[in-house]
Amino acid sequence: MPPDLQELVVASWAGELEDEHALGERLRTAVAEVVVKQVELGVDIVSDGEFSKSSWMGYATERLDGVEVREGTNWYDAEGTISGNKDYRDFSDFFEQAGDQMTWFAPGAETRGRQWSMSRESVATGPLTYSGHDAINRDAANLKAAMAAANVEEGFLPVVAPASVESVLQNEYYPDEESFFADLAAALKDEYRAIIDAGLICQIDDAYLAGAWEYREVRGWDLKAYKDWVALSVEAINAGLEGLPEDRIRYHVCWGSSNRPHSTDIELAEIVESILKVNAQTYLIEAANARHEWEWRVWEDVQLPEGKILMPGVIEHATHVVEHPETVAERIMRFADLVGRENVIAGTDCGFRGRSHPQVAWAKLEALAQGADIASKRLWRR
Amino acid sequence: MSQRPDRILTTHTGSLPRPVSLIDLYRQQASDEVVQEELRPAVADVVAKQREVGIDIVNDGEYGKPMIGEVDYAAFTRYRYARLTGYEVLEVEETFELIGGRDRRDFEEFYRSGAAAISETGRQAIARNVGPISYVGHDDIQRDIENLKAVIAGGDASGAFMAAIAPQEPARVGDHYATAEEEVLALAEALREEYKAITNAGIMLQIDDARLVAEFEDKYSIDWDLGGFRSWAAHHLERLNHALEGIPAERVRYHVCWGSWKGPHSSDLPLKDIVDLILGLNVSQYVVEASNPQHEHEWEVWKDTKLPDGKIVVPGVVTHKTNVLEHPEVVAQRLAQYAGAVGRENVIAGTDCGMGGRIDAKLAWAKLAALSHGAELASKRLWQR
Repeated sequence: MPPDLQELVVASWAGELEDEHALGERLRTAVAEVVVKQVELGVDIVSDGEFSKSSWMGYATERLDGVEVREGTNWYDAEGTISGNKDYRDFSDFFEQAGDQMTWFAPGAETRGRQWSMSRESVATGPLTYSGHDAINRDAANLKAAMAAANVEEGFLPVVAPASVESVLQNEYYPDEESFFADLAAALKDEYRAIIDAGLICQIDDAYLAGAWEYREVRGWDLKAYKDWVALSVEAINAGLEGLPEDRIRYHVCWGSSNRPHSTDIELAEIVESILKVNAQTYLIEAANARHEWEWRVWEDVQLPEGKILMPGVIEHATHVVEHPETVAERIMRFADLVGRENVIAGTDCGFRGRSHPQVAWAKLEALAQGADIASKRLWRR
Repeated sequence: MSQRPDRILTTHTGSLPRPVSLIDLYRQQASDEVVQEELRPAVADVVAKQREVGIDIVNDGEYGKPMIGEVDYAAFTRYRYARLTGYEVLEVEETFELIGGRDRRDFEEFYRSGAAAISETGRQAIARNVGPISYVGHDDIQRDIENLKAVIAGGDASGAFMAAIAPQEPARVGDHYATAEEEVLALAEALREEYKAITNAGIMLQIDDARLVAEFEDKYSIDWDLGGFRSWAAHHLERLNHALEGIPAERVRYHVCWGSWKGPHSSDLPLKDIVDLILGLNVSQYVVEASNPQHEHEWEVWKDTKLPDGKIVVPGVVTHKTNVLEHPEVVAQRLAQYAGAVGRENVIAGTDCGMGGRIDAKLAWAKLAALSHGAELASKRLWQR
């Protein structure tokens, strides 16, 4: 994200921006630039870089009515929650010192923005309804204009899954999680639909689905209780997707992007059946980092349903080392051999902004495109 | 370890996290006696700890090589100046301009951000030759050997290794020798003393060659001049063979170090372009990077390259270049690839590089535990148990 845009965004959050029009204008040009960059590197399906969002899940609370913002720490970042996490406990020295390594390349403004959002907690105190129509229509229009200018056909906008909002939104209004999720889904449905109506692909981001296992002690879950919650989360997603065309939906599940040991990540095999119940055509799943790189083998036992597409991460942000295109090709081939070459799209473990240095991030995307090229040549024997 | 193993054995590349108390003593430049008092029990601990996490071929964690900060990537090479005559050591500011090359050119902003710093002091030692080079580290190396042998059951050192630095050409010719060639040969002969001390004690010698690929990066990567580099490399490796003269190849393993800094490494020398030359070394094992994404695919090199009989590959199956802890199944997968290419009995599980000073201590140990757990999984499958 360009630092000058970041400055404007943070100023806007803090209510310090005098000219909101300047932000809107810079956002539009920045999206145009980032689309051109993706096209140059060989990325076929482009995004807006999520430049309009405070964070991948936190933005949603800004687009909902029924939310009260209070001073305080949101529960996700709270001390007690972190100490209830085994990965944090087992590697406490690491977490104490990691600091910068957790989000390495946040420019000053991004760090300030993060601190700002962490000092506030959002609480659902009334019925949740969607109020972000202007924001999502602006995002869609910016991306579509950029795509037209760059002559690119397919674009996607990432949005948050209902249950992932729970990670940044306390509930004081709803009597139970079921009704909380139901209204979140109904509200977010407006956003999902706006993206589809604009002719874009809707990507549902759900890091919390797998990531929530980290908080099992705080939540008092055993494996079964967690899986029940996963099932509930998936029902909520499907409620939000009801009536929308499956072939325009992709679903991203990850284990949380912080650059930490991830020693207690739930294995994909435990949740893959639930993931496949999401009414999306394409599934984006981490597969490049050292904790999950072996899980292509899940597809030896699990059948990818007819018509579905797998988009494994074949590059990652958790190391500065740039993937060799041959490493990328090898990762792609493993999936292609199991689920069929036409059912695989080469993807990334997670987003890069604030997680990798921009120079490294772009080089990794280039390696991804080169690796996909090598794999395609081999798979189609050209 | 002379018998054929019936499973994948485990080792690592040398440096392990030091106790803070030991780092403090080195930082204060405490006397040899004071250091030894701390060092001996620390080596006993680090050997016990390696056994605990399932490492078969152990070392002293390189605790005898002074580490002067909790982040310190250079102890493996800097130690030599205290054991050699003829050098003037200068402390300079750590800047990325100390090495050139394509990676630093293409990722200048990344490097300038400090993300790939290799010390916490921001200082780095460089040395210049000012007199005749000879080895004077006999007491140091004997101390290291004795500390290690003291804690190995029955003093049998066949399951132990110890690293020593390879001779390398100086960046600039110093004052004493007429040519760089004379200087490097003098260094090779001096270091041979250390090599012999290690192998005479029955310990496997690991040669840490930090120069081979650094030279490529520095001088040949921008033009991608493989021909020019290979001529230089052939000569460099000849000089290493000269340093190893009289030492049985079975007692030596060779670590190709691509540089442990946490950078993009986008222009690392491909193994395939050097493998034939390193196979000409008088060593029996090759310790190579295999778990960071720039080198992870290079097991395929061994499908096309015949590993000579009796030689062994020690791929790095865990890496310090990510804070993500390797899943044992990822380790097993990497080992299975190597076993498929060179035969299960010719693979030992290792690490990309030393862990000490480069990653959180607990995470380093967790990675070593993942390594041996993964080796166990791979062994069960490879020997069909």
